[in-house]
Amino acid sequence: MGQWAGYLQLILDGAIVTIQLTLMGSVLALVMAFLAGLGRLSRIAPVRWLATAYIEFFRGTSIFVQLFWAYFVLPLFGFSLTPLQAGVLALGLNVGAYGAEVVRGAVKSIGKEQYEACIALNLTRWQGLRKIILPQAFVLMLPTFGNNAIELLKASAVVSLISLSDMTFQAQVVRAQTGNTLVPFLTILVLYFLIASIISLAIRGLERYLTRGLDGIRS
Amino acid sequence: MPPSAAAPIIEIDGISKSFGAFKVLNDLSFSVAPGEKLALIGPSGSGKTTILRILMTLEGIDSGTIRVAGDNLYQMERNGKLQPADDAHLHKMREKIGMVFQLFNLFPHKCVLDNVTLAPMLTKGVAKKDAEQHAMELLDMVGLADKAKSMPSQLSGGQKQRVAIARALALQPKIMLFDEVTSALDPELVEEVLNVLWRLCRETDMTMLLVTHEMGFAHDFADRVLFFDRGRIVEDGKPDEIFRHPKQERTQAFLKKIIAAGHRI
Repeated sequence: MGQWAGYLQLILDGAIVTIQLTLMGSVLALVMAFLAGLGRLSRIAPVRWLATAYIEFFRGTSIFVQLFWAYFVLPLFGFSLTPLQAGVLALGLNVGAYGAEVVRGAVKSIGKEQYEACIALNLTRWQGLRKIILPQAFVLMLPTFGNNAIELLKASAVVSLISLSDMTFQAQVVRAQTGNTLVPFLTILVLYFLIASIISLAIRGLERYLTRGLDGIRS
Repeated sequence: MPPSAAAPIIEIDGISKSFGAFKVLNDLSFSVAPGEKLALIGPSGSGKTTILRILMTLEGIDSGTIRVAGDNLYQMERNGKLQPADDAHLHKMREKIGMVFQLFNLFPHKCVLDNVTLAPMLTKGVAKKDAEQHAMELLDMVGLADKAKSMPSQLSGGQKQRVAIARALALQPKIMLFDEVTSALDPELVEEVLNVLWRLCRETDMTMLLVTHEMGFAHDFADRVLFFDRGRIVEDGKPDEIFRHPKQERTQAFLKKIIAAGHRI
């Protein structure tokens, strides 16, 4: 049994990389989601075009191909990235494109009457968006953002293909060294599920925190 | 306050507005004196709400001009030429105008006090302490000082509408627009809102435009009543003239229907 402790350590090291990728990728995805999602609602046509092009491109091509571009092709143009940077970039841009549609949908779902109240109170478009529309829309975005973060976590396994030692990569290493598939892959199955559950719980907690008072609980 | 001979605060000159093929306003002109309390009545779809929405810049116009306090609402002069108003111009114009909506349009994620203080702090840079003090005075005036920390979802319709009135007043507009502000309320809640309007009407020199189906209140409230039908003013006069001695057949027919429906005039 003693040998497994060392292998488990390998996999846990990989879990750290997976968590890093997920966190940093999610932050980039969130930023891109808001930039592109609000960009699509802009009054300035070129901004809308740019946002649409970004969304369609990253939704319409494979994350696998995007990752290989980030890691193997960009260096040909003089941008060399570490595997982690390439992984975060590809995951963040890819999931951000999906998130952008979530942002746009949530903002558009806020009733016309809220926008009209903003105009009647003489708020600027930006003030209304920031203080009135986005706080209400953000609560609506959260459940789907949670899904997206979990998708990102699972998609992060593709970085093993650019030799970044994430959880899946380490499981492959253990498998190669021991010839045993069940133990390493059962271990990472459980670990992926645990991380995903933590994301789910965190999002649900945040949702509950942000909607307090809206249903009349706060007095 | 009787209308004075001073220059009108609102001048509407030949405006038209269509939604698709439907002409809501048809070459409409009227003006409003400073401090005047005006009731706009008429059947649904006659264009009375559209006028308020146009004055609040929620809808544009197809043709004609509107002047508010002497300035052109939808156009501005630049290099000696008239141009469509830009955001800065509209913001300047909106400072003079406040509106209360049929469905209150409170911000559901902000407490009552924050609903009232938000706009003065953001648009006029009023300090939080001063904004809150003024807000509490206004909430006190509408009888809701004890609800300052409540969320809108905890209030009745009548209370929501009184908060909405306080919120609009917090910006101290010269002109207030009330768009069917009691139409969405349960009958027993109408009165508490009308009482607030009544106080405003008697205690302030704000210009007030009221679109309403409460004919009894319109009669008592207004200095002047405009009866609308199909995007035009059919009759324009003092409340007694319009309600007791309507000259136009269409006004008579409308009032007859209203009375038949059990409304007091």
